[in-house]
Amino acid sequence: MYLIADFREQPKLEAAILALKAAGIDAHDMDVFSEEPVELRRGILDRPSRMSLVAVLGAVATGGLATAGVYAAQHNYRLITGGMPVFSFWGTGVITYETTMLGSVLATFGWFLWESGLLRKRDKSVPVPTVLPGVMCLRIRCFDPHVTRVRQILDNAGATDIARKEVA
Amino acid sequence: MAASAPELLPYAKIREDLFRPLSRGSSGYWMTVFAALAVVTLGMVAWGIQVRDGMGVTGLNRPVFWGFYIVDFVFWIGISHAGTLISAILRLTDAAWRKPVTRAAEAITVFCLMIGGMFPIIHLGRSWLFFWLIPYPNPRLLWPNFRSPLLWDLIAILTYVTGSVIYLYLPLIPDMAQLAEHNVPWRRKLYRILSLGWTGSDREWHALERAMKLMACIILAVAVSVHTVVSWDFSMSIAPMWHSTIFGPYFVAGAIFSGIAALLLVLGILRRALGLELYLTGHHFNNLSKLLLLMSLLWFYFTFAEYQTVWYGNEPSEMAVFASRIRGAYALFFWAMVICNFVVPFVLLGIRKLRNINTAMISSVCVLIGMWLERYLIVAPTLGNPRITAASGGYVPTWIEFAITAATFAGMIVLYLLFSKLFPIIAVWEFKPHPVEED
Repeated sequence: MYLIADFREQPKLEAAILALKAAGIDAHDMDVFSEEPVELRRGILDRPSRMSLVAVLGAVATGGLATAGVYAAQHNYRLITGGMPVFSFWGTGVITYETTMLGSVLATFGWFLWESGLLRKRDKSVPVPTVLPGVMCLRIRCFDPHVTRVRQILDNAGATDIARKEVA
Repeated sequence: MAASAPELLPYAKIREDLFRPLSRGSSGYWMTVFAALAVVTLGMVAWGIQVRDGMGVTGLNRPVFWGFYIVDFVFWIGISHAGTLISAILRLTDAAWRKPVTRAAEAITVFCLMIGGMFPIIHLGRSWLFFWLIPYPNPRLLWPNFRSPLLWDLIAILTYVTGSVIYLYLPLIPDMAQLAEHNVPWRRKLYRILSLGWTGSDREWHALERAMKLMACIILAVAVSVHTVVSWDFSMSIAPMWHSTIFGPYFVAGAIFSGIAALLLVLGILRRALGLELYLTGHHFNNLSKLLLLMSLLWFYFTFAEYQTVWYGNEPSEMAVFASRIRGAYALFFWAMVICNFVVPFVLLGIRKLRNINTAMISSVCVLIGMWLERYLIVAPTLGNPRITAASGGYVPTWIEFAITAATFAGMIVLYLLFSKLFPIIAVWEFKPHPVEED
């Protein structure tokens, strides 16, 4: 089951999240919905990310692949060069650089889709609140014995509206 | 107050103002679209004639094998720096005034790259063989020359287009999710598909902000490299007044310069056409005008340094190009370029009393003309005055080249008009509502 609480002020929302965490609700079971990004203070509802690492890995992968591809292609020429190198760093450097960046761009985008959950199949049984302008909705997944306690915490923190939603 | 800080307006009004242009299409709008489409059609006909009859229908001939097409290519790629680069710099520096500016700028980048990227294909003559540029296994062992800057161009532009499209698309997702709620059915379907089921959860916002910051860093590095690679098309050859180490930064500075001019012009037109006076204020134009002025001075410094070095070296083949630009066949274009790129912006934007939205737009038009002339002056005089003086020659473009060039400008207008009808030109979610005003 889910409880959805509306807040109009960010400090009240932050206080509610801290109180819920202190009461044993896991950060994974809480989501804040809003029409614009809400910048919560560090330590309140952190969402660790590996996006930078993925961007670097994507860059290394495509940069390496492109260099290997260009190397292989250049050595495929059946040319008599008289000792001139067929593969040159200076000639390949730009290609390596651009493909490295391309890999980074694609990896960042791909990881954004994954991390935001947009790429994953959504669980349609989970209720998504309708967010009004200027309102921040806090959705909490909780179980029957805790509902009253959670509701009380939300009330105390200053939620303007609290709704109970069953899993469809 | 509201005029200088639109984020203090009630959120409902912001949404209404910025979403309204999507559903309202005036007769002037459609007339402009059809007029621009007519010019695009003329350009397509000209290109069709070129494909049927060959490159002989253009003014390209010995020794000037690069003409309008390469000029247009460099010009459009240069303007493409308007968006992504400026937007990325403003985003990374967290400049608050960037909010109404960034999307318009990012859209310019994508469309300019689409248009600029067509020119190497048009210039090929046998355009249908463009895929020979791509390294693919084939029985004749025809590999592209990896040491050719033209191949570097292909890869650099491909990277830049990909990055710019994603950079434009990412901040559009939340707006499209909002648009999917209230709209006519076909638009609702379109926005729903494009917004990928965005719900506005903090996980999504976190991921979006992280991705935007990372993309801004990556795109900055790509943007600088792209125009450096374009400059290497010239400077990697030993042609007079091309073989210069300064060309990379000179081209990047010129690209940002023309990019800011294009952005100012587009913003000025959008402001009036879409009634965005509350959002695109004198403050934005003032800041961008100062940037344009700064780039004008930087451009002048680079140009002076380039010409001064050539003059002092007094190398005969370089001096032939120098003379043709300063007092020869191309002198008119050269001095027009100096007036457009330096004198006009310096007077209109440098004198504080004269600096306003109208003078910013006049300066922008002048800079765009000046920067096109600059590209022309880089290409034609050098090729017309090669190191073997007996091989010298001139270049007279034909109506085919003029028509194709005009079509690209019209194409840009069509793309931008259609974009402004499908997507909000200002990111709505970036304006955070003020709680007190909202209540």
